[in-house]
Amino acid sequence: MKLAEFIISPILAFIIGIFLMGLSRRIMARIHRRYGPPLMQPVIDLVKLFSQRTVSHGPIFDIGVILSLAGTIALILFIPFGGMCPLEASGGLLVILYIMLFAPLGLALSGGEGANPNISIGISRKFILSLGYEVPFILIVLAVMTYYHTISAVDVVKAQSSFHWALFSLPLFLPGLAYILIIPAMLGIRPFDLASAPQEISSGPMAEYGGKYLALAEIEHAFSIFITIALFVDMFLGGSGNVVYFFLKVLVVFIIGLLINAVFPRFRTEQAVKFLWKWPSVMALAGLVIVLAI
Amino acid sequence: MDRNNLIKWLKEPKKMGNKYSLWAVYFSTACGVIEVPPVLTSRWDAERFGIIPVATPRQANLFLITGYVTTKTLKAIIRTYEQMAEPKYTIGFGSCPINGGMYWDSYNTIKHLDKYIPVDGWIAGCMPRPEAIFIGVTKLWGMIDKGLATGYIRYRENYDYYRGNQEKLFGSMEWPPLYTLKEGTNDG
Repeated sequence: MKLAEFIISPILAFIIGIFLMGLSRRIMARIHRRYGPPLMQPVIDLVKLFSQRTVSHGPIFDIGVILSLAGTIALILFIPFGGMCPLEASGGLLVILYIMLFAPLGLALSGGEGANPNISIGISRKFILSLGYEVPFILIVLAVMTYYHTISAVDVVKAQSSFHWALFSLPLFLPGLAYILIIPAMLGIRPFDLASAPQEISSGPMAEYGGKYLALAEIEHAFSIFITIALFVDMFLGGSGNVVYFFLKVLVVFIIGLLINAVFPRFRTEQAVKFLWKWPSVMALAGLVIVLAI
Repeated sequence: MDRNNLIKWLKEPKKMGNKYSLWAVYFSTACGVIEVPPVLTSRWDAERFGIIPVATPRQANLFLITGYVTTKTLKAIIRTYEQMAEPKYTIGFGSCPINGGMYWDSYNTIKHLDKYIPVDGWIAGCMPRPEAIFIGVTKLWGMIDKGLATGYIRYRENYDYYRGNQEKLFGSMEWPPLYTLKEGTNDG
């Protein structure tokens, strides 16, 4: 049973991630008063991208993409969803904090081999942005771990069973709000899409990817959408033992992020870091202090 | 439109994927590009057919040559075209790439685009309306379906001809040939 979870949970995560990508294009189109592409459009794109002939820029260029995808798939095994958590006994939230850096590092490695100035600018922006959101993120995770006296993500979910959701409990309300504020930065959507800004730096780290490389990067993006929101659902909305309920919770959080994405323009780099170090960090720190005080 | 035809998807996924996911490189050669933003945004919404603009040639597989082509722009066009991933499709948009249009006696514009890069189809008019782009894309779907949109294969097979024409126009070229040239054919 445990072995089957190693295969089932990445596949489920992939399906949910791809569905969310298709849904986001559809909802964005409706907000623009357009009809929008079909829900299957990301799958059509993936079929096309895998069938294309592409250029490689060297072995590191290939390995970097694969490393980033592999790191993301490994991360899924640590996240409890729908009653499944294949690697629940090994480190929990602390390991998640470390492995989350794999995906941007892999892209940076591969982008360095690409030797395109737009990639360098994109990568540096991506790292500055992750410097911005890692500070509140670590404070949030610390507050959650201190409040529940555990580092295991599964125990955090168990402690919130029967509607004792952390988001609506007093000490963890502020960290929860801070997590909602940094979700767009972690997903790289507007107002924090400065790393992959197509209009400024021709889609930044993706500038030299075409065909199969872009397909792997899209799959990685689908996974990381799922991971970011699944972590929020696990830590603050009580997770769920049922895949359908879990998916509904993910959907609600994702649509909130999408509505923010649809109406806001893009931050400049220093504005983004200023925002991230001011409001989410202060909220998360206040939450941590309250948790320690009571 | 046979986008929801599952049997066709299973039979030839490559062809269907290329048909319904045309990513156009956002490169405006001239005035014709004024017709492209309405096509992509709310009024005509090309995204419902899977057509989106992308910022880099590596990701694109559709190239719209919008309007007259000066010799200087042609250099950028050739470099962009050679960087795109195969299979790739080119559409000449407006009358200028076809035969020079109103720039037929200009010293600085090329008259026949298909001497320098292969073109899969033309949209005539000055300017063609956005609806004409949709008709063009529908025709391109038909050509992909029948295996007639083979510009990239023609470019590979007749590379000597295209490279020869390019060198004749520019004098010397700053970048090496994309494919190996056959001996003796390239003396222009």
